[in-house]
Amino acid sequence: MTDDDSLTDGSRSRRRFLQLGGAAAATALAGCSGLSLGGEQESGQVTLADFRGSGPLVAQRAEPEGTSIEDLPALEGELTLYLGGGEGGLYLDLINLLERRYPDFTTNHRLEASSDLANTIIEETDAGQSPADVFMAVDAGSLGAVANAGATAGLPEEALSAVPSEFQDSEGRWVGIAGRARAIPYNTNELSASDIPSSVQAFPETAAFQNSLGWAPTYSAFQSFVTAMRLIRGDDETRSWLEAMLDAGITEFPDEFRVSNAAADGEIVAGFANHYYSQRVKSAREDAPLDLAFTEGDAGALVNVSGLEILDGTPNADLAANFVRHILSAEAQEFFATRTFAYPMIPGVQPVGGLPTIDELDPPDIDLTELADVAGTVDLLREAGVL
Amino acid sequence: MSASDRFEQLREQTSTESSDSTAPTLLAVVALAISLFVLSPLVWLFLRAGEIAPARALELLTSQTTVEVTLNTLVLVVGVTAASVLIGVPLAILTAQTDLPFRRFWTITAALPLVVPSYIGAFAFVSAFGPRGVLADLLAPLGVEQLPTIYGLPGAVLVLTLFTYPYVFLTTRASLLSFDGTVVEAARSLNHTRWEAFKRVTLPQIAPGIAAGALLVALYALSDFGTPAIMQYDVFTRMIYNEFGARRLDYASVLSMLLLVMALGILAVESRLNAGREGAYVSRGSRQPGQIRLGYWKAPALAFCAGIAALCLVLPIGILLQWLVRSGTGYSGGGFVFELSYAWNSVGLAAVAAGISVLAALPVAYLSARSDTRLGALPERATYVGYAVPGVVLGLALVYLGLSYVPFLYQSVILLVFAYVVRFLPQAVGTTESSILQVDPSYIEAARSLGYNPISAFRQVVLPLVAPGLAAGAALVFLTTMKELPATLMLRPTGFETFVTYIWLVQGAGYYGQAAIPALILVGVSGLSMLVILRREGSS
Repeated sequence: MTDDDSLTDGSRSRRRFLQLGGAAAATALAGCSGLSLGGEQESGQVTLADFRGSGPLVAQRAEPEGTSIEDLPALEGELTLYLGGGEGGLYLDLINLLERRYPDFTTNHRLEASSDLANTIIEETDAGQSPADVFMAVDAGSLGAVANAGATAGLPEEALSAVPSEFQDSEGRWVGIAGRARAIPYNTNELSASDIPSSVQAFPETAAFQNSLGWAPTYSAFQSFVTAMRLIRGDDETRSWLEAMLDAGITEFPDEFRVSNAAADGEIVAGFANHYYSQRVKSAREDAPLDLAFTEGDAGALVNVSGLEILDGTPNADLAANFVRHILSAEAQEFFATRTFAYPMIPGVQPVGGLPTIDELDPPDIDLTELADVAGTVDLLREAGVL
Repeated sequence: MSASDRFEQLREQTSTESSDSTAPTLLAVVALAISLFVLSPLVWLFLRAGEIAPARALELLTSQTTVEVTLNTLVLVVGVTAASVLIGVPLAILTAQTDLPFRRFWTITAALPLVVPSYIGAFAFVSAFGPRGVLADLLAPLGVEQLPTIYGLPGAVLVLTLFTYPYVFLTTRASLLSFDGTVVEAARSLNHTRWEAFKRVTLPQIAPGIAAGALLVALYALSDFGTPAIMQYDVFTRMIYNEFGARRLDYASVLSMLLLVMALGILAVESRLNAGREGAYVSRGSRQPGQIRLGYWKAPALAFCAGIAALCLVLPIGILLQWLVRSGTGYSGGGFVFELSYAWNSVGLAAVAAGISVLAALPVAYLSARSDTRLGALPERATYVGYAVPGVVLGLALVYLGLSYVPFLYQSVILLVFAYVVRFLPQAVGTTESSILQVDPSYIEAARSLGYNPISAFRQVVLPLVAPGLAAGAALVFLTTMKELPATLMLRPTGFETFVTYIWLVQGAGYYGQAAIPALILVGVSGLSMLVILRREGSS
């Protein structure tokens, strides 16, 4: 499974398919994620291979480009981090690596859903100040909510300049650290790539999707997608689309990992989910008949980001700023690409597993900070009878 | 009537009951203070709701969604409570009063489902009965194309019933074991059939026990978040959570207020059912009624017990084991490494919460048990309100109140333990009160006439007799604290993980394999505390 395959498949049509890596990728992933970063390693002995893990697919990768950790000042002191989302566990691996490299650096972390932590930080800020120094969240909406509540301090210029402007706040209050693309996981026994329309607006009328699509409307990534649709097409059109999807008999799931699993099982033929869940399914079940399609230029092609921001009033501002630069280093970005299947945020690092590169995707032109208007989206979902 | 008037009236009433009014008055003050303390987080709801414009409040209250969710919640609560009585009462009778083979074994299996967190139960049922689940895979070769859906109301009622009916089972069984069996024999000797004797003699005697268990079930069903969320059934807790997520605290607080109103309604219904409870507890069950011979009913009775145990215990544990086996390398969970300290955190928190709950329950339960008036029972009733407050609402209330008024306690173990006491105190109050009701007040009179002051009379006479009830209450609080999720997530100190926060994080990330072992250990440790509850019977 090579990049050539996806080129011949996808380069002619504007639509891009993702040939999920088969056995090779799965083995590589199993190799990486199977490693526990328990306490046996010696501190200080951290190389690129630790960030990248091992495996045939990864071994062929070029050296990542960008600012290396070697060129950054050492991390020293203690940081309190609020880590959003279940995938926060993957961030922990990265943070553990940094703690191993810098014996004088320790973190104290709190793991919860991004939106819950955003609410907590806003409450804490209302009452005075958050005990957290840095907020790492899995969606820009949560970062935007905290930023809009005036709870952030500025980010270092070196960090902001490393990341394309569409993946950071226009006022520099938060910065993306890993990309998460909306995608359509579909069952390859039931559908082929050409069955999937290039616009989500066409989904309700697509015959193959009647009574056989899935979504997770309580899931924050889905709500960000609907928020994006509202920003692009307005509330009325979004409501009509939601109602039409309901009329087409869509199935509800509690989260997008289950949507992707259900598509692999054939319980539904396709669904709405972030791209990396399908790779997680494939890494658990190599032969799952699952593939990904992307729509073009609309909400269905939204690229949301995991990102971080420094919280207002932190007594550790310098350490936090240096930490942000470490998260955007070549090594850390290689970690996100190879271990979490995310899109790296700096141009010098490539995505893995046959993913189209970030400039091959066609995301809509919106300010990700505006994804913070989740309240309006929940209203709309309720009016339409989705929630 | 203001609180001070009420208190004054309370004082007068209690003082007339005793020649020495100091002790009862002190008791009433302490009990009232405890109940006010545990109700204090609700202040937050009123503060938030007070910020809403009346027109907006009316609009929210009367919206179609609100009405629908109210009905959904009512149907769920009624369904779960009724189903729990239908399962819990027969099981209690079978294990307490019949010649069912292996009664001890079935007593334990009937009580044990209480140790399985309902959200784990719900995941297990979705795994087993969901489309393409384990059961569907098993039945597919037999030509079964499609199973009826587990999602929605049926699944939510099924799962909540299966993991909460033990409340009814335990309280009913306690009543059955403690009432005077000679009454039934007397009724039988008057030519009543067995059914008539049950209806006219046994049922009125055990009704308060059934009602006490049903109350716990109803309040649990009202406040549970995980199960309706997993079963995708819209109830108050799910809506409140979504509203908080969207940072619309006005609607969330309106919904929380409505939920509290429903809790008060449940308390009122239970209070009515419970009006004649004096008769139930007064006589101490030293004389057991004659055993009912099951005869031809032995096989169906065994099948019933085994069926429930299979659904509540074998199935979820089987699914957890399956997660464990299926959790190949692809399922291993990044930085989520389970550490032994999480287990100690859980056990320590639960032990402290249990200890404090028992200490707080004692005066409240004693006042309620020894008072003939509704007013004397007021602190006891008040403590039940906390049980109905969903963990997510309580968590947010304490985040807000902690930050605003006691910042040095914010994200401290103290505030977390307080949350547990607020939520689970009524369980300790219930078991303690039923033990106190079984102590003949004339014992205390005797001790007093021998020159003991009220406090030492209580310590020397009452405390040893109610100790098993206190232990059972502590065990109940211990195991529900071990299972508690939402308040733990929100209030725990940063960097302080427990069994459930770990399980929640790894399953939320889809790493089910990682959740299996801690979930099994959690069930095991909770199971041990259940043995304490059942052992109480041996000593009573």
